[in-house]
Amino acid sequence: MLRIESLSVTLGEFSVKDVSLEILPDEYFIILGPTGAGKTVLLETIAGIHTPDSGRIFLGDREITSIEPHLRNIGMVYQDYMLFPHLTVEENIAFGLRQKKIPNDEQRTRIEEISAVLEIGHLARRYPGSLSGGEQQRVALARALVMRPEILLLDEPMSALDTRTRDRMRMELSRIRKLTGTTIVQITHHLDDVFALADRIAIMREGRIIQAGETSDVFLHPSDAFVAEFLGIGNIIRGNSSRSGNIVQITTRNGPYFYAVSNIFGEVIATLHAEDVILSQAPFVSSARNCLYGTVSEVVPFGSTVRIILDVGFPLTALLTRESCRDLNLEPGSRVYATFKASAVHVIPVTQQ
Amino acid sequence: MKRFSLTLTYLTFFIISAVLLGLVLYAPLPALIESLASPEIRFAILLSLVTSVVSTFICVIIAVPVAYSLARYQFFGKRITTLALTLPLTLPPLVAGIALLLFFGTTPWGKALEQAGFMVIFTPLGIIVAEVFVNLPYMIRILRSAYTTINPRYEYVAKTLGCTDTGAFLQVTLPMARPGLVTGSVITWSKAMGEFGAVLMLAGATTMRTETLPIALYLNISAGDLDLAVAAATILILISLVTLCVVEYFDRGVNVF
Repeated sequence: MLRIESLSVTLGEFSVKDVSLEILPDEYFIILGPTGAGKTVLLETIAGIHTPDSGRIFLGDREITSIEPHLRNIGMVYQDYMLFPHLTVEENIAFGLRQKKIPNDEQRTRIEEISAVLEIGHLARRYPGSLSGGEQQRVALARALVMRPEILLLDEPMSALDTRTRDRMRMELSRIRKLTGTTIVQITHHLDDVFALADRIAIMREGRIIQAGETSDVFLHPSDAFVAEFLGIGNIIRGNSSRSGNIVQITTRNGPYFYAVSNIFGEVIATLHAEDVILSQAPFVSSARNCLYGTVSEVVPFGSTVRIILDVGFPLTALLTRESCRDLNLEPGSRVYATFKASAVHVIPVTQQ
Repeated sequence: MKRFSLTLTYLTFFIISAVLLGLVLYAPLPALIESLASPEIRFAILLSLVTSVVSTFICVIIAVPVAYSLARYQFFGKRITTLALTLPLTLPPLVAGIALLLFFGTTPWGKALEQAGFMVIFTPLGIIVAEVFVNLPYMIRILRSAYTTINPRYEYVAKTLGCTDTGAFLQVTLPMARPGLVTGSVITWSKAMGEFGAVLMLAGATTMRTETLPIALYLNISAGDLDLAVAAATILILISLVTLCVVEYFDRGVNVF
């Protein structure tokens, strides 16, 4: 769908260095990275705003490296939405259609269609200045989507929103994607976006892609200490959540289950920091609700710490000091108990994936 | 401190008002109207209006793209260019005027222009040239600061929506810079209405030929005709007042100086 080959761009203090990526059709691809990693420059270069120093970009079979942005058919939504303040909501959405000289009738149909999808029909005559953050976000999405872009680029689209609006918007993005079948590349630093939306992710640092791949793969096998630390979380576990007293029981696909403090039911993703998992050779009585028995499948040293990947019916990562690892005599094949608190588990509803 | 500063503020306000009102109220109203209706003042008003409107228009046409390149692009010699473009701001208009006079009067380029029919020395056309030269930096400064406050990402988005470079500028940035454009035009126009030094040097002070309002004021004071001078001055005060009101109204986030 979108193929980037050894792309390098320099823009003042920001740069993209030798980035190669392939985004598949209908994929939701998320690029993660700290501030100043060059993520926005990468997106803008894909959109055609900056001219690369070297490298090539392909959209489908077409090379677009030196094609003007207005001929690329790539949509872009920024964190601050960039709605044109001197135009009404309707004029903002119609902006691109007018440039393309789409006949008026079709313009109207397409605007009505997308306004219905994003539920912003009632805002048509308002000016962006009078809209809430969530509303501006929808209008910005509508303005990009009405062009039926081959690919939609989202630059931290939700970081200006409050937590509740962000949760709703996340559902919305997932729904829109299903409805329109648009390929999406998003920049974020919210892990929740990754869990809820991403098919695959890439981690970017100082202009380079450090690691790219299936989300669960990257989380389970971070390629270096930076990725591990940046992701912060060792565990993403899919399961089905059901009520169990005041908390929930999350049953994984293969049967093993654990408890979590939450009130979300149905298909969920549970996340758990690797450092919150305690390993022991014998089960012990404690206030922690979860104690699972499993086998060590991998031992990966990372600086002063060691990541232990267990098989407890699903993969579970624990982060230990080297000393603890030595004391417990852990090596692939060792049998251990993993203990963690129900309140250490973070539950996110699955919208679709 | 509060008492002292407030007292001083009121005192300053009082002195400024007293001085200006003294001028406006100097002549009884019928005499003022009579002066305003005199052929000389009517000519000066008309000439000032025409030259200032034309010179403002030229300033806008030049400053819109020039200020944009200063605000958006990095280019070779940007600092020295910016300096040169802004120098006339601090230059006494009289000096600008004599420089223009020498340029058109003594240099081969100036003479070539004269020969090609572009006569500026001691002509009404010279008034326009002098006004543009002195006021263009203001227009550029104001527009540049207006552009700088507009995030370039508005243009990026416009381009992904199908605009060319020029299209994005004309449809997004320029409309968003409208307050700066209005403020800049009004300031430029009012400065052109009041321009004296540069006009005097290049276009001279010929009665009923290159006699703008400030020149009329100067000529009539020199000739001892106080009534006509006051009439010209009153109009200039009114123009200042209107300019200030317009600028205050439109000046949102636009840095004038």
